[in-house]
Amino acid sequence: MQSNGIVLQTEGLTKIYRSVLTPVGVKAVDDLNLAVREGETYSIVGPNGSGKTTTLKILLGLISPSTGTASIFGKSIADISVRERIGFLPEDAYLYDCFSGEELLDFYAKLFGYSTRKRREVIDELLSLVGMQANRRVPFRECSKGMRQRLALAQALVNDPDLLILDEPTSGLDPAGRHQMTRLILELKRRGKTILLCSHFLAEVEEVCDRVGILYTGRLVTEGALSELAGEATQIVITTTGLTETGAERVSQQAGVMNVEDNLVRMSNADTAQLWSVLDSIRQTGGEILEVTRPRPTLQDVFVRTIGEVRE
Amino acid sequence: MSPFAGRLILIIALAMAAGVIVMLRRLWLPAAAHAVPSIWRIASITVSEARRRRVLQAVIALVALIMISMLFVAYLSPAEQSRMLISGGLSAITVFGILLSIFVAAFLIPQEIQNRTIYPILAKPVRRFEFVLGKYLGALIVLGLMVAVMTGVLVLILLISDHYVQDQPGSVFDPNLAKVVFAAAMSYCALAVLTALIILISTIGSTTMTIISAFIAWALGSLQSTFLDSIQQTTGFAHLVLILFYNVVPKLENFDFRHEVANFMPISVVGAWQAVLHGAGYILVVLILASLFFNDRQV
Repeated sequence: MQSNGIVLQTEGLTKIYRSVLTPVGVKAVDDLNLAVREGETYSIVGPNGSGKTTTLKILLGLISPSTGTASIFGKSIADISVRERIGFLPEDAYLYDCFSGEELLDFYAKLFGYSTRKRREVIDELLSLVGMQANRRVPFRECSKGMRQRLALAQALVNDPDLLILDEPTSGLDPAGRHQMTRLILELKRRGKTILLCSHFLAEVEEVCDRVGILYTGRLVTEGALSELAGEATQIVITTTGLTETGAERVSQQAGVMNVEDNLVRMSNADTAQLWSVLDSIRQTGGEILEVTRPRPTLQDVFVRTIGEVRE
Repeated sequence: MSPFAGRLILIIALAMAAGVIVMLRRLWLPAAAHAVPSIWRIASITVSEARRRRVLQAVIALVALIMISMLFVAYLSPAEQSRMLISGGLSAITVFGILLSIFVAAFLIPQEIQNRTIYPILAKPVRRFEFVLGKYLGALIVLGLMVAVMTGVLVLILLISDHYVQDQPGSVFDPNLAKVVFAAAMSYCALAVLTALIILISTIGSTTMTIISAFIAWALGSLQSTFLDSIQQTTGFAHLVLILFYNVVPKLENFDFRHEVANFMPISVVGAWQAVLHGAGYILVVLILASLFFNDRQV
C-alpha cells in the first residue's frame, strides 16, 4: 500500500478500442484518475457503455490500457504479486459448470499454492459465509442464479484479499438474492476489506458505499461521498389527506410550492415562513396534514441530475 | 545426413535459442519456480473437465467398435489378417487421435475466453504463459490417455485374434506388439506437435479459424514427401513459398510408422529419433510463440 493510505490509483488511464472499421478508435475509458483509500468502499456507477467494466478489466490485467498508469498497493498492475491480494467477482458467475462449488473453490485455492489442509479450512469457511454449505456438492450448472453468484463471490474471497473488485455483484438476482448479496458485501466491509464496486443498482450502492464516482463516456464526471454529491436537502414534501381540488389549486399558488399531486405538496428552497403559510393554507381549505419531510436526494437523483447536466 | 537436413537442424536450433532468450527476457527467469505448479494446476483442471465430457468416452467406444469389427471380416491369410488389424487399428488411432487433438485443443483457449471462465483465473496470480502451457499439458494428458486406451484395445484385439502372426513364436516379449505400441507412441508424438500448433493458432484466432487451420496443417503435414517433390519442381517465388510452408508446417509424416509395422518391415531408429527431436524443437518454438502472442491478447 502507498504511504498515503491509497490502495488503488489510476492516473490518466485511457483505453481506446481500435478495429479495421474504426481506425480512429472508440474511447472506452478517457483520462481516468481514481484513488481508492484503504478500508473504503468505492463505487463506480454509470450508464451502459460508460467504461466501468473496461476499467476493472484494465485493473485486473485482462486488457492493457492505451495510455496512463494504474497501481494497486503501490505496485504496477503488471506486477503479478499484486494479484495475491486481490479478489475479483465478475459480472456473471463465469465458473466451470461441470464442477461443484467445493471442487471449484479447491481449484481456485490451489492457484494460490495452499496446502490440502488450508484449502479444506478455507473452503469450509467460505461456503459457510456465502451460505452454500448444504449445497457444496451440487454441480455449478445445477445451481440457481443466486447460488452461482454466491459461489462466484466465494472464489473471489479464496485468498482472503485486501482489495475486492466486484463487477455488478447483484446483477440478475431476485430481490431476496440482492438483499443477501448486499448483506455479504456489508459483512466484508465490516471486516475491513477495501472494495471497488461497479453496479447499476443505485439503492444498493447507496447502502454499502463510502464514496461514489460517476462515469460517463469513459470520463469521471464527479466523485465524492454521497452526502457531498447530494448536497443539502432542498425539497420539502407535505403528505396530506382530504385536500379538495379547489384547495389544491389554492395551495399550489403559494410561494415556494413546486407542485401538488396525489395529496403530496412539494416545496423547493422554502423558508420557514413559506412553509407555515402553506400548512395554514392546507388546513383552511379542509385538508389534513399527515407528515412533513425534508427528503435527502438519493444517489438515483444525483445520478440523473449529473448525467443530465453532462449531456446538456 | 544431407546438407539440407543439417541446415534445417541448425535453423531450428537457432530459432529455439532465440525463442528461449526472448522468453527469459520477457517473462523472467524467477517466474519459472512459480510457473511449474501453476502450469500443473491448470493442466489438472483441464483434464478433470475433459474427463467429464461424454464425447471422449464415446470416441473410445467408437474406435473399439471399429477395431473389433475388423475381426469379423471375410477370411484372409493369417499374415494379411494381422496386417489389416495392425494397419487398420493404428490408422484408427491416428485419425481419431488427430480429430480429438483438433477438437480438444481448438476449443481450450477460445472457449475459456468466450465463456469468460478465464477471468477469475487470470485475476489470480497466474501468468498468461502458465495458462497456455497448462492448457497444452492438459490436452497432452487427455490425448495421452485416449491414445493409451485405444492402443490397449488394439493390443488386446491382436492378442485374442486367432490369426495373429508372431515373428518369433514362443517369445515372451513379442516384438510385433512392441512395434505396434511404438507406432502408436509415434502417433502420439505427432499429436503433441499438432496440438502445440493448434494452441498457437487459438491464441490469435477464433475457434473456427483454428479448426480450419488445424485441418490444413494436418493435411500438409501428412504430405511432406509430396511437398518436397513440388519444391524441387518449382522455381522463383513459388519455390520460396513452398520452402517456407515446408519448414513451418509440422512434419507429421515423419511420425508415421504404420506401414513398416503392419508389413513387418524394419524400423529406422535414427529416423524415429530425428522425428522426435525435430518435433520437440518445433513444440518448443511454437509454445514460446503462443505464450508471447497470448501475453498481449486482450481478453
